Amino acid sequence: MDHFQYSDSPYPIREGLVEAYRQYWQALASPGSWFSGVERIAIAAEVRNALTCPFCAERKNALSPYTLEGEHQQGSVLNAIAVDAVHRIVTDQSRITEEYVKDNIASGFSEEQYVELVAITVTVFSIDEFNRALGLGPEPLPEPIAGEPDHYRPDQAQSGTGFVSMIPEHGAVGKEADLWPNGQTANVLRALSLVPDGLRGWQRVAAQQYLAPERLMQFSSPTGRTINRMQVELVAGRVSSVNECFY
Amino acid sequence: MLSLSADLSDATVNLQMINGDLAAAEGDLAHAEALMKFAESFARRDEQALSAARDALARQASPEILVDAAAVAANFQRMVRIADSTGIPLDTRNAAISVDIRKELQLERFGSSKNTPPPGWKIKLLGLIARPLAKRKLKQMQQTTQDSIG
Repeated sequence: MDHFQYSDSPYPIREGLVEAYRQYWQALASPGSWFSGVERIAIAAEVRNALTCPFCAERKNALSPYTLEGEHQQGSVLNAIAVDAVHRIVTDQSRITEEYVKDNIASGFSEEQYVELVAITVTVFSIDEFNRALGLGPEPLPEPIAGEPDHYRPDQAQSGTGFVSMIPEHGAVGKEADLWPNGQTANVLRALSLVPDGLRGWQRVAAQQYLAPERLMQFSSPTGRTINRMQVELVAGRVSSVNECFY
Repeated sequence: MLSLSADLSDATVNLQMINGDLAAAEGDLAHAEALMKFAESFARRDEQALSAARDALARQASPEILVDAAAVAANFQRMVRIADSTGIPLDTRNAAISVDIRKELQLERFGSSKNTPPPGWKIKLLGLIARPLAKRKLKQMQQTTQDSIG
């Protein structure tokens, strides 16, 4: 099946976006570093379940998101910790704490699994959200590709920034040399670097949804889009403000 | 980023467009009000308002502009979730450059600010120096790029 044909779209979708989304869907269906293709697609399905989950709606309105007990509206592939993590990231991300992440790790859900889960959740969510912004339904999920995860963890990853281990500023070397130019990075880029393919996946989508990496520091040059940099940042800032994004 | 891009474009924009009301949509930014309405209704998941804002933006600007705005809006649904789910603090460099902007927009009220220590005197002092330096450096980078293209 050819995904992202957008034949029902009344608006012209840029080819770059279509290609980036197709490429991500292919990666999503394939075995990752810590999850199989079946599990990765199940994570994507939970992104969608979270938006209509009655327990998530109740918890979002609760004073504390960690005292309420209940059951999520969920599929049958993932364990309860994974389902809860996806639902929190989609519906109540600003109240995720280090204690929550560490408790999950202590319960056997590794930080590598958590990071890959975050990468899938946020990338699928951003693609679904693009469709919603244009009044289009979500793209059908791909069929899983058989195979085993490679369990790759970069040796240079270390703890000390945020809730999970990540590659240090000057650690983008060797197999990770493509992640960012030497030392020129930001915490938000490093955040998911414990699973380098997770970072690569969202970066390819970001290069089309937002700006290509080489244009990021070109604040008054053409953006390669139909909106200029100030218009780009106005939309970015307004969305981030509603999301209470301090970063 | 809006502030930096406005400064470097020698344009006038009201930073309150980020989290103020529509009256802030003044200055040198084309389609500012339509973009604000679109981004706001999208992020609040107000589907009725989003439908109206989408139609207005496509009509007043163009369908291509609507698509590019939708892509940017979707991108920033992802970025906040990466930051919050991993608890990353603001980078020291960005913290210094944005001290005054964070104050103006009152960003410390957001829960996710807990992951970044409040700016001490060193960061505030660095901010006074870093912002003008950053602008100068970025202008130089742009000039170099334009020269190499031209």
